[in-house]
Amino acid sequence: MAIRDDFEVVASQVRTVVQRFALGLLVIAAFGAMLVGKADSVLVEHARVLALDLASPVLEAIARPVAAANRAIADLKEFASLREENARLREENVRLLAWQTAARRLENENVRMRDLANFREGPEASFITARIVGDSVSAYVRGALLNVGRRAGVASGQAVVTGEGLAGRIAEVGENSARVLFVTDVNSRLPVLIERTRERAILAGDNSPQLRLTLLQSVAGVQRGDRIVTSGDGGSFPVGIPIGEVVDTGEGSVRVRPFADFSRLEFVRVVDYGVTGLVSGGPAPSAPPAGIRVR
Amino acid sequence: MRADGLFAMLDRWGRWALPGTVLLFFVLLTLAPLRAPYLSGALPLLPALVVFQFSLATPERLPGPLLLAMGILLDLLLGGPGAPVGVSALGFVLIRAAVINNRRYLVGVPFLFQWFGFCLLAWGYVVLVWFFTALWTWTAIDPVPAMMQYVVVVVIYPLLAPLLARVRARDPLNVPDESRGTARPGETTS
Repeated sequence: MAIRDDFEVVASQVRTVVQRFALGLLVIAAFGAMLVGKADSVLVEHARVLALDLASPVLEAIARPVAAANRAIADLKEFASLREENARLREENVRLLAWQTAARRLENENVRMRDLANFREGPEASFITARIVGDSVSAYVRGALLNVGRRAGVASGQAVVTGEGLAGRIAEVGENSARVLFVTDVNSRLPVLIERTRERAILAGDNSPQLRLTLLQSVAGVQRGDRIVTSGDGGSFPVGIPIGEVVDTGEGSVRVRPFADFSRLEFVRVVDYGVTGLVSGGPAPSAPPAGIRVR
Repeated sequence: MRADGLFAMLDRWGRWALPGTVLLFFVLLTLAPLRAPYLSGALPLLPALVVFQFSLATPERLPGPLLLAMGILLDLLLGGPGAPVGVSALGFVLIRAAVINNRRYLVGVPFLFQWFGFCLLAWGYVVLVWFFTALWTWTAIDPVPAMMQYVVVVVIYPLLAPLLARVRARDPLNVPDESRGTARPGETTS
């Protein structure tokens, strides 16, 4: 009896040791993964792209029902304020019609001026339309996954726009998937122009819904309501894509609200400007783009 | 155990595979572009909830190496330039170990205690991920969004946990010995 008890005690001790050892091994493995990721970012990049490509068909399958659910939620919200919304839209329409007239006149004038000055246009941009199949939004990242990749002509560093304005840029590209880094992400830095004063600045994200304008020569010249557009510095973005407007010019820090509504993105357009690789050195698309490319 | 029919075999396999499959589903769901306010923000913490709940019910079907793989997959998918790959794996493994070592306080106790236990462990998990992400990217990351995630997932727990706990319904007390706590019958305190 005593021997058996002893055996059981020893056995349970051995078991505990093994269990503790296993935990230690697992913790070491996790730390190892983190260190490898820190040391060899190219390897991690490849692993990310591989994981993305594998997961994207699954995500695409669940994206449609999820989109339907999102629309239902949005519809419910809109029903509540239909009347006010209508009144607001009517008012806005009147205002926009006035702007349209102004824009037509200016465009004509512009064309004539360009003819006079023999102005050379920048490279023409073409668009690749993509569905957002996944959010990579957490407390630490602001981004999304697209269902187009290298095969459709997407390359790292290209601009991603919505109807309202710039949403972000392509950070990683797989065969049939790509990851967008939104302008609101903490890693996002954009060369921009203040439309009214033509002053150059850097627009940085900090994971909050608003952006921060930095590196201004004179903060004093910025006013609330100033529109911020891309400056085209760096070469991979077209000039003049609207990004947002200044909402706050507090002491030293200028806050910008992006035009793109990140809470209801469903489709976006990737701008292929012909010039890539200056920003992130991704390989240029080798095969002629096929499929959903539109002009 | 012998002379199993096809269905018995499927049943057994299904039961073994279920926790891992559910975890994989929630890892992928993390990326679903769900736009429900608050809820979508808390999605990245749901895998941790699943790990906690299954470690309570059937830890032997959610072995450490599987958790390691799932955690690394989650980190790869969730992305973020410079963010540490493997921090979720570390968190998962630690949650499992913490649950197993404290089974006597967490299994067979009123639901409120389990909830409390989850609050503590999830807090540890959130702090761990925040700390390593800040360390790896070497930026002072605003902790408020992470806190919001934490609050939402703690509120969601009572809705999701009973559902996940049903995995135990087929074998309520047939947990193999090695995964049971060290408490002997009749023992209440250590």
